[in-house]
Amino acid sequence: MPGNAGLHAEVGGLSIGSPVIVASGVWPMEPSLWPEKALEGVGALCSKGLTLEPRTGNSGKRICESYSGLLNSIGLQNPGIDHFVKNELIGLQTCDKPVLVNVSFESIRELAAILEKLLPSRSLVGAVELNVSCPNVSRGGMTWGLDPEGLEKAVSFARKIWQGPLWVKLSPQTSSIGEFSRICQDCGAQAVVVANTWLGMAIDNDEEKPFFERIFAGLSGPAIFPLALRAVWEAAGAVDIPVIGCGGITRPEDALSMMLAGASAVEVGTALFHDLSLPAAICSRLSAHIEARSLGSVGEITGRARR
Amino acid sequence: MALNVSVQGAETSDRKGRIVLTESVGRGCRHIRVEIESGCCRPDPGQFFLIRERGVFDPLLGRPLAPIASSNNSLDFLFRIVGRGTSHMASLPPGTEVDLRGPCGRGFPGPVKRRLILVSGSLGIAPFLDASARYRDKMEVTVILGVPGNGWEEFAKWCSSRVPGLRITSDDGTLGNRGNAVEEALSVIEPGDEVWGCGPNAMLRELGHLFKIGSGRILVSLESRMACGIGGCLGCSLPTATGMKRVCVDGPVFEWQEIFPNAW
Repeated sequence: MPGNAGLHAEVGGLSIGSPVIVASGVWPMEPSLWPEKALEGVGALCSKGLTLEPRTGNSGKRICESYSGLLNSIGLQNPGIDHFVKNELIGLQTCDKPVLVNVSFESIRELAAILEKLLPSRSLVGAVELNVSCPNVSRGGMTWGLDPEGLEKAVSFARKIWQGPLWVKLSPQTSSIGEFSRICQDCGAQAVVVANTWLGMAIDNDEEKPFFERIFAGLSGPAIFPLALRAVWEAAGAVDIPVIGCGGITRPEDALSMMLAGASAVEVGTALFHDLSLPAAICSRLSAHIEARSLGSVGEITGRARR
Repeated sequence: MALNVSVQGAETSDRKGRIVLTESVGRGCRHIRVEIESGCCRPDPGQFFLIRERGVFDPLLGRPLAPIASSNNSLDFLFRIVGRGTSHMASLPPGTEVDLRGPCGRGFPGPVKRRLILVSGSLGIAPFLDASARYRDKMEVTVILGVPGNGWEEFAKWCSSRVPGLRITSDDGTLGNRGNAVEEALSVIEPGDEVWGCGPNAMLRELGHLFKIGSGRILVSLESRMACGIGGCLGCSLPTATGMKRVCVDGPVFEWQEIFPNAW
């Protein structure tokens, strides 16, 4: 990236050329579908949410636009970890950037099986991103990431099996994003991604019933940016490990704000649905800030608003 | 920005454009022309663009529209106001800057050796306005448009002005023959004819009746809510005879049997 000096970052055990990461669930896993140059400015690419077995995802309507936002109820459609390791993981390497593997699980047994299947391909995995927004079947379906005990158990267990970089993508529905970030840190996570989509819903007034079959859906897009920014601020104040800001980043200024609030890198998702050039634009904006403030590198932007 | 999303060789990318014409064509339907800044490849009929006003984040997503005509530097679209996105789009005056992503997906194939019957329901005629204009000198093309009837006169007249010999049917019999587009197709189809359909799902499903009298291949273009347009978000995935498929990159044009495997 000529002209974007100082953007290289060491984040959560990962060395990345820029602090802009493509979030899980928005990018096709087949390189043949990638628009050329669309990954300019991207430092790392995250896979779809992967489960032990293949999943066809949710039936019925899957997306619904809201005011400056998007509700989705995809339901973790994915080919399963075996297929992913044999096919998509290898193909994803053509992006020539670290590949994050987002892992979803409903039991510790599933988590163990997924990580063990990833181990032989460890060199192809930049980091494992644990998605803790799934239900924990042994706790009556309570979301892993909303239950301190469940979170502690899952992260500790993953840490024992997976020796490579381990990140945890937190649910924003927690009672305290700071407390849950600390749990991840104490259990050996090397970064926390703050956060996932926010639970919302829509009603089909003509049908007089919920719009989505599963009733609740995840809200993303510019509508949630101030919420995510606040969560990043809280998390960054609670832990020493890097915080990856994720939620509603739509303009380059948003990414800068996230980093000033304490993020060491950012993930972008929904914004790519209408602007493939956003990662490169974020890089330009961060570079301009580095130069304007005479900073040495992008890492020095992190947390400057907290001084 | 080369990309091999489309089997027909067009390239999907983000493009900048400007609305240069907008006109009402009756019944809440609008025709707009968008000039593309960097020029535009000619998409195949049925391929689509996600289009939205530049710099506006509410509505957030582009709306998927299949061009009704294209040139080296412009695309024409036809849409009906059905919600916030299309209502916003309809309000934009000439000069408005827009972002487009496309051409997306797999469209209809080029000219075929058989007679071609194009069956559309209301706004489903969009890709066939393009297809008939491009192929009618190369092969025998029959275009059928089904509309509800009363109130659709202006729309039907506008479509007729673009498609010589357009066969119109209406549910209430006020425009063209009484009946629906599939019934009209049944009255003209001959064994071996190729059929392309675009319109409401119920109409596309009924096209399967044409197989009974020996129709050749039937292709249908699906409508879907979608977000990314490049096969990433899976918001437009649907179950088919051959597994989950994404309307935005695996379609929007599919073989009829793939979408309706259990219809008959």
